[in-house]
Amino acid sequence: MKERVGYLPEDRGLYPKMKVGELLLFLAEIKGLKSSEARKEIDFWLERFDLSDWKSKKVEELSRGMQQKLQFIVTVIHQPELIILDEPFSGLDPVNTKLLKDIMLEMKEKGRTIVFSTHRMEQVEMICDNICLINKAERVLEGNLSQIKKQYGKNTVVLDYDGEANFIKNFPEIEKIDDYGKFMEIRLKEKSSPQDLLPKLVGKISINKYEVKEPTLNAIFIEKVGGKEVKDEEDTSSH
Amino acid sequence: MKKILAVIKREYIQIVRTKGFIIGTILGPVFMLALIVVPIIVSSASVEKQETIGVVDLTNEIFMELDDKLDHKDYRLKDGFRRYVLEKFEPSPGVEEVRNELREKVLRKEISAYIYIPEDVLEIGPAESAAKDSVPEEVKAEYVSEHTTDFEELRTLNRALNNVVIEKRLKREGLDPLKVAQYIKRVDLQPIKITKKGEEKDTAGTFMISYFLALIIYMAILIYGQVIMRGVIEEKSSRVVEVVLSSLKPFQLMMGKILGIGAVGLTQFSIWTLFGIGASVYSTSFIPAGADFAMPSIPAHVFIYFVVFFILGYFLFGTLYAAIGSLVNSEKEAQQLVMPVTMFLIVPIMLMIFIIRAPDSSLSVFLSMIPFFTPILMFLRITVLLPPFGQIGASIVILILTILLMVWLVAKIYRVGILMYGKRPKFAEIVRWIRYR
Repeated sequence: MKERVGYLPEDRGLYPKMKVGELLLFLAEIKGLKSSEARKEIDFWLERFDLSDWKSKKVEELSRGMQQKLQFIVTVIHQPELIILDEPFSGLDPVNTKLLKDIMLEMKEKGRTIVFSTHRMEQVEMICDNICLINKAERVLEGNLSQIKKQYGKNTVVLDYDGEANFIKNFPEIEKIDDYGKFMEIRLKEKSSPQDLLPKLVGKISINKYEVKEPTLNAIFIEKVGGKEVKDEEDTSSH
Repeated sequence: MKKILAVIKREYIQIVRTKGFIIGTILGPVFMLALIVVPIIVSSASVEKQETIGVVDLTNEIFMELDDKLDHKDYRLKDGFRRYVLEKFEPSPGVEEVRNELREKVLRKEISAYIYIPEDVLEIGPAESAAKDSVPEEVKAEYVSEHTTDFEELRTLNRALNNVVIEKRLKREGLDPLKVAQYIKRVDLQPIKITKKGEEKDTAGTFMISYFLALIIYMAILIYGQVIMRGVIEEKSSRVVEVVLSSLKPFQLMMGKILGIGAVGLTQFSIWTLFGIGASVYSTSFIPAGADFAMPSIPAHVFIYFVVFFILGYFLFGTLYAAIGSLVNSEKEAQQLVMPVTMFLIVPIMLMIFIIRAPDSSLSVFLSMIPFFTPILMFLRITVLLPPFGQIGASIVILILTILLMVWLVAKIYRVGILMYGKRPKFAEIVRWIRYR
């Protein structure tokens, strides 16, 4: 069973005093890989993550980001069918984030199941097929991501703007506003139309983008959990 | 099994390659040797230099002969000069005045000490009193100095003075001191150890070797047990354990660790044994012929039992140390829990002298059957006086059963503890872990 699962914990779980190559070999061997096979995989993955030069360095000499990549290699080196990733992007720069995301999608293409746990809703939106929101150890929301979003309907406006936009709050058709200063997510009341809102804004602020869409997962999450303390949420991307 | 092997290999290689292991292996014997050799060198190369000693001789008979005696080559310095130069002080005008004057001289460091010999040292009591009290009362001379703790020097001077005084007394009685020395020559009661293979002249060797080997078992269990514990804590605190346990069972990790570190211990012993054999081969060509020290040989069975009891003892305590490691979050926290385990090791060490003196008393037999004491005490009994094989076998069986029980218990504790962070669990909780299915 354990050979079919790959697990990436939130905290780094590596032997700090071991050399990178030896560590990978050990962790691959206890996953049941033959050492010749393991060596081939190790070289392949180190190359892919640009860590080949670090193969004979000790783990503790690696930066946080490099250790995170190493941890990911450990997770997938035995080609598991089920991959569990707990905050895999933490500590990674944009380049490596992209690399990791690409590999995750590659794994999905190959038919692997990935359980991806994170607090970052935008990552979930971009990657996941199915989600499960968990708050205080209880399932809050579960299902196919696009279906869930459809349920919330197309009465959300995403506004990209410059200027002073505080006045919008007082419009009667507004249900809820999430303002980031240059970016605003507006939830309209049931009967109101986004078409009626736009003219009221023209001329008052400079509008870079006005998009009518489903609410973001972020907004759904906040609505679902409300003001209550957020504990943990987990999202599943599966094939 | 393949996975346990991988863990064993990792533990073994990671430790054997550390500087600590290499240095420890090389320095271990050097250190032990130093412990024996250094005091000998230091005491023989002690700070000997010529000293002037004043003498107040109220008998007026001893000074000359004492001076002669100290002129003898036994009392001289290595370079041939006299160690003690005596200077005679007449007790005039009065004894007290001279003693005051000498005290001043000592304080001014003109002389290093003075010896005061009272009048009555040469006198012997009436014959009747000698018969009544088998031990005649001692007469006392005085050695007066600022520094009176150089017992080597005191003994030398005392011996010289004694010899002179006794010779004087004997001569007064018309006896020949040389002849008397022959009469009162001492007899030495020589211990001869009988084994099945025959007799063997026993110097202090057997005792020393027994003690020494038992101590090695003790130290090795203590040291390698702590290595296990530290390893477990490290895995726990660096959270590697979460990753590793996604690949293998807690039991496999624990056994792999204990076996791997045990293999390190055996490696170290093997190196030391080779070193020891080499050293003894080399040194036999080195010890001067006729030296009163027979290199005691370690019989083969003792060596085999040494390995057996080290391995069993290591396993028993290794599991305990692994359990402790899994229960705590840091080495500091571990110290409190280690105490009772260490006590199990220290108690037999304290009992060693008793066991060596009475190896087959029923108390000794009983104590050596207690599994936590067996590795040290039964081994000690074997070295001193080979017990019946039934006893040895019984103790080994009890020990193995205890080990199996401990492995079973500890595996259950370890399994839960290793993934438990935060507050240290209470005893009741640990008992509950053991009940988990």
